[in-house]
Amino acid sequence: MTFRQILRELVSNGPGKAGVAMLVILIALSIYSVARFPFNFGETRWNNPAEWADNPKAVPPSWSNWLSGSNGVAHKKVTVREPAEVVTGARGTVRTYALSWDFDVDEPPTFVSMTVEGLTYNVRPPVLSFSLARPDGTEVVLLRQVARAPRPGEVAPFVRFREEPLRISITTEPNAINAMGDFFRQNYTETVSSDVLRFSMARALVSVPDPSVDEDGERLFPGGLRLLPGTYEFRVTATVTDVGDTLDSVRFVVGGSVFGLMGTDGLGRDLAVGLLFGLPIALFIGIAASVVTTTIGASLGIISGYVGGKTDLAIQRLSDIILNVPLLPLLIFLVFVFGSNLFLIIFFLVAFSWPGLTILIRSMVLQIRSGQLIESAVALGASRWRVMFRHVFPHAAPFIFSQMIFFAPAAILAEAGLSFLGLGDPSIPTWGQILQDGFTTGAVFLGYWWWVVPPGVLIMITAVTFMFLALGLEPVVNPRLRRMN
Amino acid sequence: MSFARPLAIRALSLLGVLMAVLVLLVVSLGATGVSDKLLRAIVGEEVRGIRSGLAQTPGIDPDELENIVAARRKDLEESYGLDKAWWRRLPNTVFRVISLDLGEARTLKSTSGSRKVSDIVLDRLPNTALLLTTSLVITALIGLVMGVRMATKVGSKTDRILSYFSAISFAMPTWWMGILMILIFAFQLDLLPAGGMYGTPPPEGGFARFGDLLWHAILPVSTLVLVSIGPYMYSVRTMTMNVAQEDHVMIARAKGMPEGVVTRRHILRVAAPPIVTGLIFGLTSSLGGSILVETIFNWRGMGRLFFDAITGTPDEAVIVALTFVFTLMFVIARFILEVLYVILDPRVRYN
Repeated sequence: MTFRQILRELVSNGPGKAGVAMLVILIALSIYSVARFPFNFGETRWNNPAEWADNPKAVPPSWSNWLSGSNGVAHKKVTVREPAEVVTGARGTVRTYALSWDFDVDEPPTFVSMTVEGLTYNVRPPVLSFSLARPDGTEVVLLRQVARAPRPGEVAPFVRFREEPLRISITTEPNAINAMGDFFRQNYTETVSSDVLRFSMARALVSVPDPSVDEDGERLFPGGLRLLPGTYEFRVTATVTDVGDTLDSVRFVVGGSVFGLMGTDGLGRDLAVGLLFGLPIALFIGIAASVVTTTIGASLGIISGYVGGKTDLAIQRLSDIILNVPLLPLLIFLVFVFGSNLFLIIFFLVAFSWPGLTILIRSMVLQIRSGQLIESAVALGASRWRVMFRHVFPHAAPFIFSQMIFFAPAAILAEAGLSFLGLGDPSIPTWGQILQDGFTTGAVFLGYWWWVVPPGVLIMITAVTFMFLALGLEPVVNPRLRRMN
Repeated sequence: MSFARPLAIRALSLLGVLMAVLVLLVVSLGATGVSDKLLRAIVGEEVRGIRSGLAQTPGIDPDELENIVAARRKDLEESYGLDKAWWRRLPNTVFRVISLDLGEARTLKSTSGSRKVSDIVLDRLPNTALLLTTSLVITALIGLVMGVRMATKVGSKTDRILSYFSAISFAMPTWWMGILMILIFAFQLDLLPAGGMYGTPPPEGGFARFGDLLWHAILPVSTLVLVSIGPYMYSVRTMTMNVAQEDHVMIARAKGMPEGVVTRRHILRVAAPPIVTGLIFGLTSSLGGSILVETIFNWRGMGRLFFDAITGTPDEAVIVALTFVFTLMFVIARFILEVLYVILDPRVRYN
């Protein structure tokens, strides 16, 4: 059978068609993922908390709004490079960077942060002021900060917040919380206690105090804060004395109660990114482990069956022993003792998986070698190796190929199982590790389904793809089935 | 016709497995220096005991005490072979692993509060055995019935649906299945407990206690059954189907035998040995599955112990003991199935 014929047979049945289609999609996504993320993504980005500081923690994906019927805040992250307004007065030039934000949903944002990056000044340290203009015409100044004065011996221009940007988390910053309390006291008849503010600062930013109660004496609005819809403006002003003083950019982040395509995990990591990065890794584990395993298993099987004698006995004893070893406990032990490196994990997987195929191929070869084809090849003076690889191997090839496909999901599942037990390679995030993070931080018990369900679904889809391919190849491998269908 | 010879060969082979695992264990422990660490911990423990014992002696000179302790430490290190290279105490280490004489765990404890590794592991053993055997028996029964039904109606709707189910069941990660079960049955529907072995507080009285245990076992057992039944059912289907196409079955049908008799006497009897082989392979995946399922459902068996020993401060001694006990359990279960195989397949006896 030629490759073309095999392919035609494969796409002529249901599972084969589905398998090929799914494989094409998975490979296309993997190529995109490999092109988009650097190989050291795990160390430099995924496990780097600073990378994810501006994301909301453990929030569901955006489309969950549509599922639950609620109306969550969309995540907004905007970097402003040019000031919206420049006013020059007696005390210097005031540059205002602003972000206008429409608030029209029934949930407050999860957090608000403003980040100032790259401030350069020549003479006097500029004053930074962080404020919020509200739809009712009021403005609350949340924080004022002066850039650090020149160190002794430092020469102008003085650069601040370039290596380490100044990130103000408005919703947790104690000074901002105090400022909010003062603002309520001065502008409204009702006040809000500082305890309430500390826990619902994000809500307070977009609310007015309203302690109304219903007939039972229960508060109508949580914490006595009634949401105030309308257009808000977050402002950062820099008051500089020298015209040459510059500010690179200001980043405004309004933490959503939903995020992106797949939501975020407990550290605010974008799960869509993690899941996408995990795809080529999973395919690599599956394909690498299955190719190496089948190569070793099939070669030893052919040698064992064709050469016979003491070689056969030795290979059979060895495979018998390795085949009967309980895989997972030993894998756990070995990975624990030798360290969790992805390549080491694949090596151990291969080391314990080849014997099954060896035994099957050996029994096939025993049949093939008694045929006339082999006899004639031997009679023509073909060497042992030539007979094995030019005459015996092609007969067993379709079967070997289908076994190779069949083994890929087993390898993917085994790696995922190890990752789930906390033995995954820490430098390379995999689907199993995302699930393990979710499990150990209690996501299962808090009902964070977007964190624990998708990695499992993806592992399953990948495994099912290979299963379908193997099922689709069954008529090629087993001609008896071809007649029956 | 004799049972002894084929069984002896299988027993020898399984003994080989056990020895191979043991050698692998102790060699990797020795080569990575973990075994030194383990023995040092045992010596340190004993020296501490001696020191506190001596400190009770009235009027003892502190210098003399230090000398005695140092001498005792040297003796102990010699008797444990710490002064020799790791490969020279391999036999000793093998014996230590077999007898589970691995000192004390760092943080883990048995229910009675003992910190000895052997106590902790043996304490958890029955719980794992209970979970594994229950799910294995259920899997075998359902898999056999459904597999045969699929094979007798190849191409029917039932067959196609169950085939797809098998593929999904094979592709389903055990632990993820467990997580789904918790999300659905414990949280969404609030029907079954999410984990643990007994409610809090555990009910009084033997019968109520046992009922509570069964109640908590429903989710973990069904998880194990659901993930291992697919491949098994499918292999039963394939074996039965292959036999069903043989000529002797057609002859039996041609003779006008009732379909039930044909299935039982002419198909199943012939397909029985490979079906048992299928069960043997299912055992491997169940064993691995039980480690993950116990972890998820907080079932206090050896699998959960494995997880606890890995996470946090790793407890090397417990991990070594568990690997060995799991292998031992596996080998014993394998042997029981081998006996069944030899009884079922007359060819093995005559060869």
